[in-house]
Amino acid sequence: MTGKRMFPKAMRVAVVAVLCAAMLVPMYIMVVNAFKPQQEILRSPLGLDLSTATFDHLAAAWQSTAFPVIEGYAVSLFLVLACNAVAIGASVPGAYAIARTPTPLFAFLLMFFVAGMFIPAQIILVPAIFVLKALGLMGTFPGLVLFMSATMIPFTLFVFSGYIRMLPRSLDDAAAIDGAGRQRILWTIIFPLMRPIVATAFILNTLSAWNDFVSPQLILGPGSQFRTITTGVYAAVSTYSTNYEIVFPTLLLAVTPILLIFAIMQRHIIGGLSSGAVKG
Amino acid sequence: MPRKATASSTSPPGEVDAPRITTAWRNRFGTIANGLLTLPALVVYAGLLVVPVGFAVYYSFTEYNGFPSSPPQWIGLHNYERIFQDPAGDLHSSLWVTAVIAVAGTVIVNAAALGLALLLRRTTRFNTFARLVMFYPRVLSALIVGFLWQAILGPQGAVNNLMERAGQSTLPFLADPEWALVTLVGVIVWAQFGVQLILYLAGLQAVSAELQESARIDGASGVQVFRHVTWPALAPTVTVTLVTTVLSLLKVYDVVLGLTNGGPGDATQNWAYEILAVTFAKNDIGLASAQAVLLVLVAGILSFTIIALRRRAEAGAEAIG
Repeated sequence: MTGKRMFPKAMRVAVVAVLCAAMLVPMYIMVVNAFKPQQEILRSPLGLDLSTATFDHLAAAWQSTAFPVIEGYAVSLFLVLACNAVAIGASVPGAYAIARTPTPLFAFLLMFFVAGMFIPAQIILVPAIFVLKALGLMGTFPGLVLFMSATMIPFTLFVFSGYIRMLPRSLDDAAAIDGAGRQRILWTIIFPLMRPIVATAFILNTLSAWNDFVSPQLILGPGSQFRTITTGVYAAVSTYSTNYEIVFPTLLLAVTPILLIFAIMQRHIIGGLSSGAVKG
Repeated sequence: MPRKATASSTSPPGEVDAPRITTAWRNRFGTIANGLLTLPALVVYAGLLVVPVGFAVYYSFTEYNGFPSSPPQWIGLHNYERIFQDPAGDLHSSLWVTAVIAVAGTVIVNAAALGLALLLRRTTRFNTFARLVMFYPRVLSALIVGFLWQAILGPQGAVNNLMERAGQSTLPFLADPEWALVTLVGVIVWAQFGVQLILYLAGLQAVSAELQESARIDGASGVQVFRHVTWPALAPTVTVTLVTTVLSLLKVYDVVLGLTNGGPGDATQNWAYEILAVTFAKNDIGLASAQAVLLVLVAGILSFTIIALRRRAEAGAEAIG
């Protein structure tokens, strides 16, 4: 293969190994320092002395009032599921109608949705806040879910409509002859066939919702009773950013589950990402 | 689905007057019913993403502090004049920061991703592991990435602590304005290139292996094969990665907030930071909207320019593929 001739194998492995180490060092620093008191962190940031290692700071971060960890996870999880339900639930019928109606009007409609992929969501959040205020949804969870879903719909609907186009139309016709209505055709015949692309959209939407900080911070407000993982970490860490006894344990608690999920689901996540990109 | 489209179903064959419903009627009903199907997506998307863009355009011509008691005052192009003349002297520096992040970030991210994709192309166990390691920052929140690197590179962070213990002088990763900007770009690259790496790997799979093989049999060197076969065939992938990188780098905010909080001074305040953390925080909705409108315009124009410029390269890819 190409790489072989341009680069001897041993060198290639060495370069990749060094880069992998560089990628992992921050995680290593985070993990070992989560178990150390401040002086120890300052004295030897890379080492871990098992005789002085302690769970105290991790426990303190776990009980932090600024970032209630369990609640943060519950809120983030609920947010992810709700956004996916709205974005996918609204995109499936929309994409179906667009894919099955080959008229200029619907082609324009698709372009109208696609244009949304070029709108930077967090930038348009400032005026969106006034729309949410007018709807009485500012500071509420439904308002947050609706805004985040709106940012997901363009991509979701776009890849869905591309996928439905590949499904043969004769499926719809056969079901229609058997007397199935449009909704029934859509949800019992087309939707089950869309599983791979729904999984891709679900994974990408989940990553963006889970990691979003600006939307929950601004829409729910910094003093909100609901804290997601990201807004919770911000509340706990931003004012104490040199108090490493707080920083490292909090970050460790915030990233461990998502990294575990990534480790388990990596094939689906990476596969979903590349198939989404190929279709996008 | 909460809504049901009653008129939508094609008339059941058993019904007596079914044959009387003409095809034209059915088609029109079909179009309306299909239109209704798009409604939920349209309402949510237009209501919370398109309408806000309209609001932003409107507010950008007004002076507005966001309080319901004082409605927006029409002031024409004044907000845009403020951006171009920059009396407070902070907007132009944030333009510079944004440009550095977008240009340097895009070049480095894509060069690193493509280079590594070529190295990690074959699916061996080692390569699969390496891909995962390169990719994992993508699943972390950008804010957390910022805080983590802040704790590592800050004045008392791990790196400077080690250097001090080794008897060397510390490095101002985040304390010196120029260093801070370079560090910021570095952290962004660290966090983002893994995604583009996956995209390049997917693109490389589409490159015809036979074509590369026959080029090699014809005596082409590795570099020549890359330049004349692989690179042209990758053209569509390059377009996607360039557009997605530029779009995401133009709006970086979370990582700035976590890593430098815009500092030292305003050395790492980019356009998004300026909008969200400075102008919006001062309740200057009119100016924040004008800044948002400009960013949306720039993002759109840049994307379409890249896509248009790449057309020719992609046409070449089709000729080869």
